[in-house]
Amino acid sequence: MSSTRLRWLLVALATFAALVFVACGDDEEESGGEGGGGDAAADVKQFPADSALGRIQEEGKITIGVKYDVPPFGFRNPQSDEIEGFDVDMGRHIADALGVEPEFIEAISDNRIPFLMRDRVDLILSTMTITGERDTEIDFSEPYYIARGRILVAGDSQIKGIADLDGDTSVCTALGSTYEETLKKEAPDSELRLVDSYPECQELLQNGAVDAISTDDVILTGMIIQDDTLKLVGDNLTTEPYGVGIKQGNRQMKQLVDETLQAVKDDGRWEDSYQEWVGQYTDQQQKPPTMTLEEAVELAPE
Amino acid sequence: MTELWEVLRDAFPELASGFWVTVRLVAVSFVIALAAGTLVAGLRLAPLRLLRVIGATYVEVFRNLPLLVLLFISFAGLRRAGLPVSAWVAGTGSLGLYTGAYVAEALRSGVFAVGKGQVEAALSLGLDYRQALRRIVMPQAFRTVIPPLANLTIAMIKNSAIIGVSLLALPDLLKEARIYQSQTFQTDATFFWAAVGYLILTVSATIVARRLETRYAIRR
Amino acid sequence: MTYLFDPDNWEWLWTGNNFRFIVEGFAVNVQIALIAMAFSLILGLILALLRLSKVKPVGVAAGVWVDVWRNLPLIFIILYLALALPAPWVDAYESVVPSFFPEALQSGRVLAALLGLVLYNSAVIAEIMRAGILSLDRGQGEAAASLGLSYRQQMRHVILPQGLRRMVPATVSQLITLNKDTTLVSIIAIQEVMRHGRIVTGFNFFGGVQAPVLQVFVFIGILFVITNFALSRLSRRLEVREGGPGRAPPVRVLGVEDQMAPAETR
Repeated sequence: MSSTRLRWLLVALATFAALVFVACGDDEEESGGEGGGGDAAADVKQFPADSALGRIQEEGKITIGVKYDVPPFGFRNPQSDEIEGFDVDMGRHIADALGVEPEFIEAISDNRIPFLMRDRVDLILSTMTITGERDTEIDFSEPYYIARGRILVAGDSQIKGIADLDGDTSVCTALGSTYEETLKKEAPDSELRLVDSYPECQELLQNGAVDAISTDDVILTGMIIQDDTLKLVGDNLTTEPYGVGIKQGNRQMKQLVDETLQAVKDDGRWEDSYQEWVGQYTDQQQKPPTMTLEEAVELAPE
Repeated sequence: MTELWEVLRDAFPELASGFWVTVRLVAVSFVIALAAGTLVAGLRLAPLRLLRVIGATYVEVFRNLPLLVLLFISFAGLRRAGLPVSAWVAGTGSLGLYTGAYVAEALRSGVFAVGKGQVEAALSLGLDYRQALRRIVMPQAFRTVIPPLANLTIAMIKNSAIIGVSLLALPDLLKEARIYQSQTFQTDATFFWAAVGYLILTVSATIVARRLETRYAIRR
Repeated sequence: MTYLFDPDNWEWLWTGNNFRFIVEGFAVNVQIALIAMAFSLILGLILALLRLSKVKPVGVAAGVWVDVWRNLPLIFIILYLALALPAPWVDAYESVVPSFFPEALQSGRVLAALLGLVLYNSAVIAEIMRAGILSLDRGQGEAAASLGLSYRQQMRHVILPQGLRRMVPATVSQLITLNKDTTLVSIIAIQEVMRHGRIVTGFNFFGGVQAPVLQVFVFIGILFVITNFALSRLSRRLEVREGGPGRAPPVRVLGVEDQMAPAETR
């Protein structure tokens, strides 16, 4: 083609590209202070400017890694584009205690610890179980929720518990989760299907490609909320105390988080969040956990 | 350096198993691609316009559709709609039909390369159109098609990795590498050996193709 | 079959925010493709020139580089980078990325995606460019030399402009492939159309309308087919103009890219 035509074509492409950027650039907002979190405490402690917390207060925001696809603890509501959930609420309480805005980013199981170690996030609040092995790499807060490992099956399944997961069955869990090991030990004959994230497990269960999913009951509850034909079976496989992930050595942060969490447990905010996100969907009623961090680590040395 | 060999020794069973899964995936998909591609090329060259349109639609749809989307539709979508396809069927079927669109195009241009004169000569010898296609044109077209088919095989080897990371979760080479890495965190070493595995496959395919080319291919 | 066309199963498309949510995800794919293509063209040109270099070792080294990247699965490259990228690089990306970019592109993981796409595609583009340049008559180079132009001047004023023009259709075709490849970045949890599609199918306790998997992904497929089809039409028009009446049929640079079968002759 003639070079003038080629030039016009390039201009058109560049304009198109520019338009695409501008049109889509400004309607994504960072999760702001809407909803859930409750008012900031009247007296917000100010930290010295060169401390870890002081720097966060300077910036005016704290970056928290949460799950974007695990209702009801951390997920993105497609209708409102907000990130919501129990973990998100806890994150808001901590941000309020510092007097800053929370910025939520997605932390998938694979990269959440590296994110924390590289200062990409200040905290991890993403259904993370306290284990001794993780404790060597990062610090944990006191447990803020006790989840249990369970098994989820289809409504018409014959599977009643882990003992029924024999050689003819298949079970799904996430790549890199603690359940990989648990399932290999407790159900070694069952075909283990590992995927990147739990929505994929849910899809496989719902269309019949796997017979069961095993992970924390809160995640499984999230699936039941979306599809009430699924059912939880069997005993509690494991006890999974959730802790807030804190960069190793950041004692200031740990102290703040522990204090905030204790306050939240004491003044009823924990129960409010629990009711909103978990309680109304299951018959189980839980109280704020009293387990200590030492006890949690002892439960799961690795 | 020593950890490179340690990882190889430790992970070899899993990586080897993944390697063979990849080989099987590609082999089955190849057969499907060839079959589908031949069929569609025939459609595109048919005298009946409706058949040509069907063929052209197939090619346009499968060439412009991402493989990952196709995998989702064929596995999750179909199963939800009531058709219980297995992961293997969905995986090889998708990869085969997807590559088949490219095979069809390669065959079609191969046919054109053979030239109208051949078809006319065949017709004048009393063969009907179908026979002319089958006995005269297609065999020659196939031989022009060896270089692009080699490229497509390499493409299939690479695309097979997508099947493993998708919902289908088949334990191919890449998947096995990731599983091993998630347990031991030996990222560099694990991925290095997986890369070696893939390069072995692609280089072998290239060598085989070169051999076939020198023996059979018609150069235009 | 009726399941596919049942209007109840398509109701999600016009209720709530679903349509917009998916199209926003699709826009992220297109943006990633355009950015990756821009960088791939630059790096590809450099690699092509290196391969054509008169200095033997340089040409061979560039050739090995190109061959390695072209022969590895793209998803493999992206996954490795997502796991292995050093933290300082990721942080650097996050401070450099402009704030008018959509949220999905602000995440440091996008660096792994872009780097993977660029490393792979630039190798492919380098081969396309090299073929384009080599497809020119030697006569052109010789004529330019006889006019007293140095090698660099030959390249700049005679060979490159013509050679590059010839590879425009193959490049647009590569852009189509790149557009499809952007779906792979969903594996490293970048919020693009595949992720948005799965969110829509999953969270129906917000909207109240069940969004079935088959329909949602057929819709996403339609988005891709329409966009890529339009791009391929564009590529074909570019070819036609190149030829023009009365001139010899344009030399078509075969898409050396692995998936491109030789286009039909006319």
